[in-house]
Amino acid sequence: MNLHLLSILIFMPLVAALLMFLVPSSKKGVYKYIALLIGALQLLLSGGMYHLFHVKGAGITQERLYQFSEHLPWIRLDMGGMGRLEIDYFIGVDGLSMPFLVLTALIMLIAIGASWNMQKGLKGYFILLMILDMAMMGVFSALDFFLFYIFYELMLLPLYFLIGIWGGARREYAAIKFFLYTLFGSVFMLLVIVGLYFSVTDPATGAHTFNMLHMMDPANYVPGSLFSAAAHQELFGISARLLGFIVLFIAFAIKVPIVPLHTWLPDAHVEAPTPVSIILAGILLKIGGYGILRICFSIFPDAALQSAWWLGLIGVISIIYGALVALAQRDLKRLIAYSSVSHMGFVLLGAASLTAEGTAGAVFQMISHGFLSAGLFFLVGMLYDRVHDRDIYHFRGLASIMPRFTAFVAIAFFASLGLPGFSAFIGEAFVIIGAFNSESVHGALPRWMALAGSLGILLSAAYFLWTLQRMFFGQIRLKGGDEWAKALTDASPRETLVMVPMLVLALVLGVYPALALDKINASVLALMELVMNTN
Amino acid sequence: MQTYPLLAASLAIMLPFAGFLLSAICGKRSKNGVIAIITISLSLLAAGYTFTQVWDNAPLHVQWHWFTIGQQAFHVGIWLDNMAVLMLLLVPLVALPVHIYSVAYMKGDPGLHRYWMYLSLFCFAMLGLVAADNLLLMYCCWELVGFASYLLIGFWFTKDAAAQASKKAFIINRIGDAGFLIGIAIVYSGFGTVDIQALFGPQGLLAQSTVAGGQWLVPSISMPAVWLTVAGLAFFLGAMAKSAQFPLHVWLPDAMEGPTSISSLIHAATMVAAGVFLLVRVFPVFNETTLMVIAGVGTLTAFIAAYFALTQCDIKRILAFSTISQLGFMMVGVGIGMSHVSLFHLVTHAFFKCLLFLCAGAIIHEMQHLNQKHQLTIDPQDIRNMGGLGKYMPITCATMLIAALALTGFPLTAGYLSKDALLVHAFEWGALQQGAAKIIPYMLVIVSVLTSFYIFRLLFKVFFASPAYKQPIGMNVKIKEASWWLLAPMLFLAACSLFPFFTVNPLNDGEVWLLQGIAPLPTLPPLRLLHLAIPILTTLTTLLVVVVTWHWYTLGKYPLKTGGFFYRLSVHQGYMDAFYHVTAVQPILKLSRVLVWVDRQLVDGLVNGVAALGRTTATLAGWIDRHVVDGVVNLIGKIAWGMGNVLRRSQTGRVQYYFFVLFFIILVVLLYHIIVQA
Amino acid sequence: MITLTHFLIVSACLFSTGLYAVLARRNAILVLVGIELMINAAILNLVAFGRYDKALYGGQVFALFAIVLAAAGVAVALAIILNVYKYYKTVDPEDIRNLKD
Repeated sequence: MNLHLLSILIFMPLVAALLMFLVPSSKKGVYKYIALLIGALQLLLSGGMYHLFHVKGAGITQERLYQFSEHLPWIRLDMGGMGRLEIDYFIGVDGLSMPFLVLTALIMLIAIGASWNMQKGLKGYFILLMILDMAMMGVFSALDFFLFYIFYELMLLPLYFLIGIWGGARREYAAIKFFLYTLFGSVFMLLVIVGLYFSVTDPATGAHTFNMLHMMDPANYVPGSLFSAAAHQELFGISARLLGFIVLFIAFAIKVPIVPLHTWLPDAHVEAPTPVSIILAGILLKIGGYGILRICFSIFPDAALQSAWWLGLIGVISIIYGALVALAQRDLKRLIAYSSVSHMGFVLLGAASLTAEGTAGAVFQMISHGFLSAGLFFLVGMLYDRVHDRDIYHFRGLASIMPRFTAFVAIAFFASLGLPGFSAFIGEAFVIIGAFNSESVHGALPRWMALAGSLGILLSAAYFLWTLQRMFFGQIRLKGGDEWAKALTDASPRETLVMVPMLVLALVLGVYPALALDKINASVLALMELVMNTN
Repeated sequence: MQTYPLLAASLAIMLPFAGFLLSAICGKRSKNGVIAIITISLSLLAAGYTFTQVWDNAPLHVQWHWFTIGQQAFHVGIWLDNMAVLMLLLVPLVALPVHIYSVAYMKGDPGLHRYWMYLSLFCFAMLGLVAADNLLLMYCCWELVGFASYLLIGFWFTKDAAAQASKKAFIINRIGDAGFLIGIAIVYSGFGTVDIQALFGPQGLLAQSTVAGGQWLVPSISMPAVWLTVAGLAFFLGAMAKSAQFPLHVWLPDAMEGPTSISSLIHAATMVAAGVFLLVRVFPVFNETTLMVIAGVGTLTAFIAAYFALTQCDIKRILAFSTISQLGFMMVGVGIGMSHVSLFHLVTHAFFKCLLFLCAGAIIHEMQHLNQKHQLTIDPQDIRNMGGLGKYMPITCATMLIAALALTGFPLTAGYLSKDALLVHAFEWGALQQGAAKIIPYMLVIVSVLTSFYIFRLLFKVFFASPAYKQPIGMNVKIKEASWWLLAPMLFLAACSLFPFFTVNPLNDGEVWLLQGIAPLPTLPPLRLLHLAIPILTTLTTLLVVVVTWHWYTLGKYPLKTGGFFYRLSVHQGYMDAFYHVTAVQPILKLSRVLVWVDRQLVDGLVNGVAALGRTTATLAGWIDRHVVDGVVNLIGKIAWGMGNVLRRSQTGRVQYYFFVLFFIILVVLLYHIIVQA
Repeated sequence: MITLTHFLIVSACLFSTGLYAVLARRNAILVLVGIELMINAAILNLVAFGRYDKALYGGQVFALFAIVLAAAGVAVALAIILNVYKYYKTVDPEDIRNLKD
């Protein structure tokens, strides 16, 4: 039984975009309702799929263990002396991607909710949002590298315009910086894709293929080809497979982001409109982590084990560096942007640990960070909407005038800093436990990295609580005086409606993490087996 | 048959949580605390039932599957042994009086609904912590305790001091949390489980592990032996932060910014007790080194805190340092391997310290009233502004006296039983030690003298000295005894602070039922003489100190000069806060600013530099395009044009000129022919 | 004795005179006269060299042919000059510079 549910999920927003294209731009009110409808449908559909998803669906290397998969020939070209070209429309989900599809649907819905009061260029805005939605869904489900790359690049375009047109004062700078950073990574990625293409053949047809699953099996490599593990080819004096891994890793790591490739993030976040910040933090960063697990680790497992130490180090540096820089920020949105750097460092550390605990913790951390950071950016947006200021020192004693808003912020802050009972705790705790365990299992990471990572837990408490104390507690003292006091109304019902589900979700996943972990476990174990078996 | 105690225990834990949820749902509609009081009372009943069923019986254990990560399953469970049920009973037993006390004490506060909510959460977290059957669950509750204390310390969040104190408390506790988490990671890494019974039970995995040849051999794998020490120190770091041990004690005095009723709870059974409880739970993980560190830190803490308490003037701060000092005692108990005595001292201390705070609260309450009635602006917490209150508040005075005697370890009180047991064991232990460790028991004796001194200084200054407030307002003082809502909990706790609650023989700690119930560990070789000598010594010194302080403070014959170096050191709490500010807070903030600079200038500079390089290259290429490539094309054009321009001049338009040229050329050709041909 | 050289010298003189007239005169009619002189110099040469063709009398025949041609040319040239005069109100070749670019 194949209802093409996944294809429907991916291309639903495209239909919405076409529909919006037909609606004349004078009818401004219509777009958001179309978007909301599609967002809600997507959430329903992805939620249903999540429910139907079988926990044994490990995926990773075996096509039959992927669920909701569709595999159609797309481009078949006989290229004469260069063999036959084989590109498939090949999509499917396993435990690594399933949670992200739900997360994407949820974050999109929240982003649409956050765009409710948008005034400028509604038609273009919502059409771009829908295209972005489609691209992200596609990235998480594509299993053909070519298809993946198309979706991956397709994401860039709407984001560039969304930041560059609807952004803040320095939006053009931010948009171009974001664009160049990401393009820098993906151009090199393309080289590796082509290299892989010429190294791998489809065992059934003998043609060169972009199928990722075939790339994961060493038996499919052409003997003596560039990326063949047996051939030990070298490029510029280092192993070609290691080089391929590094290039792919850098491409995804820019998205994660890692220190020192992170500076696009604060600028993009600060200049982007609130909904785009939400999408950036909620989904875009996860594509980096997802790509590292799905592509870097699965296709180059040997290189992954070889470079785990460095990945762990980068993770630890990101954790501590991000937290320390966040400590010194005056702009609330920048602070949260840097906290994202710190929290995503945990993802890298967990992935680098190459233990089931660490990797599952990393995936869980990504999911948790997805809606928590989205929530945080939404909260900052609420404040900015009211007084058009985000400077921490321009506010004081907000708790007295905006109690509900303060409660949301406090809960979101505590959830983010890893209070047990909230999802971030499970993620961070198991990343640290996994990182610690790593040396006992296979010695990929030294134990001190786990100790250093726990420093991040401490620092995150410092910057979040300090912010809470500076902005919300104490006597009321606002830069804008009475005018601000009047403008700073408490959270509206719409805003409450957006915030509550996110916080509830953080709580539910924190109290009962099995909800997500059950679906993730099988895939994580399969991935770990893949990495361990190659050595 | 075993279901009922487990059910009752679950109820005891979940009821306060239900109270928290209900209060959260009701919000501002429920301000009188009915929900919280009912739930904690029911919780007490359930805990009492559990206690009677489990105490001195086989431990009960129940667990449910929580989640699986990788292939490891984690459970939620309750592990009820004597220690757990004792704490399970203690928490609501102390919390209930505090709840009742709060009704009157917090009356009229605008944020009261939050107060009850937080209070229920606090109790829930602590109850969960003591009954948790695995370290992960315990850690969750551990942090929730910290979170609830954050909320309660910062309850009056419009006060800057309160907001800062709550932040400080949470961040310092986070240091401990990180330690705890690392401890869990080490244990999990070694044994693959976090179950408390499986790990730390008498036949547990830790008991089976051995250290040989620098390797820590655990059943599955081996780790360098240093990690066993690190694990112990990591757990101890957790306890240090939570139980306010030097040098992480600085949050506790500041936590006095919260309501006094909260302070009493934090100091008695809920917050600081958690650290000691953790150490007792994970006791098998400690090796000789860590135990020595624990004993050393405990002694140092006990001494330093007592020393700081000597000169404080804020009534709550004196009590806060007193708590730190007593926690130091408990740590020494753990360090010398007598963790059950520590736990016993924890229980007795919970009663009398809670009582001390409630009394202080009653006094502060009256001083605030005095302030209001007479439009004074004196600090209601400063003992220098009090005096002679014994006349107006006799019951408060009597209960506080009982608590103070219990604190000093005076015979017939509960404190006598626990504290002297600790001292005696410390001496027994000291007899077996070599080197510097021998001074630990003597230090403890000095500390107990200091303890007597500061607590009687407080008592005499508050209740018996000549009142300082008489001067501005004359003889017409309207100070009343505290209301019965306040007094009833105090009287109850006073009763608990006396010996009958624990033993029939007030002079022999060996007969205490509580100690017998939780003493599974091998005891130290007893020194009979000490069991006689130590109590007599401490009692006599206490009496001596009472006499001295009566002279100094009640009769006002204070002989010493204030303002010396040691006096200032004590008043400023050893300048610890300033020290941390200079050595930790400022460098971190500075480092973060440096990193921001790095981010802005170096990393972004690099990015912008690359961009600028790209732009420059583009400009250069553009210049070359315009000037070199186009230049060549233009040059060719120019040459053609220039030549044309020159030749143009021959086109005069004059026919005869053309003819002339024509003939001239013909002539030249002819001449050429003629000359060349010739 | 009058030799061929004498004829050629007279012819060269005639030609030079004609050339001078063509290049230097400021009147189109006189330029035309110069041209006629140059043609006649050539005819003279033809006649003079005619004595070497006793069989066919080619020199004389070409001389006659050239005289006829010259007469026709003069007629056309005069007509052009007449028209030039009509158009420019002058027959001075210096004033007529429309050939200039």
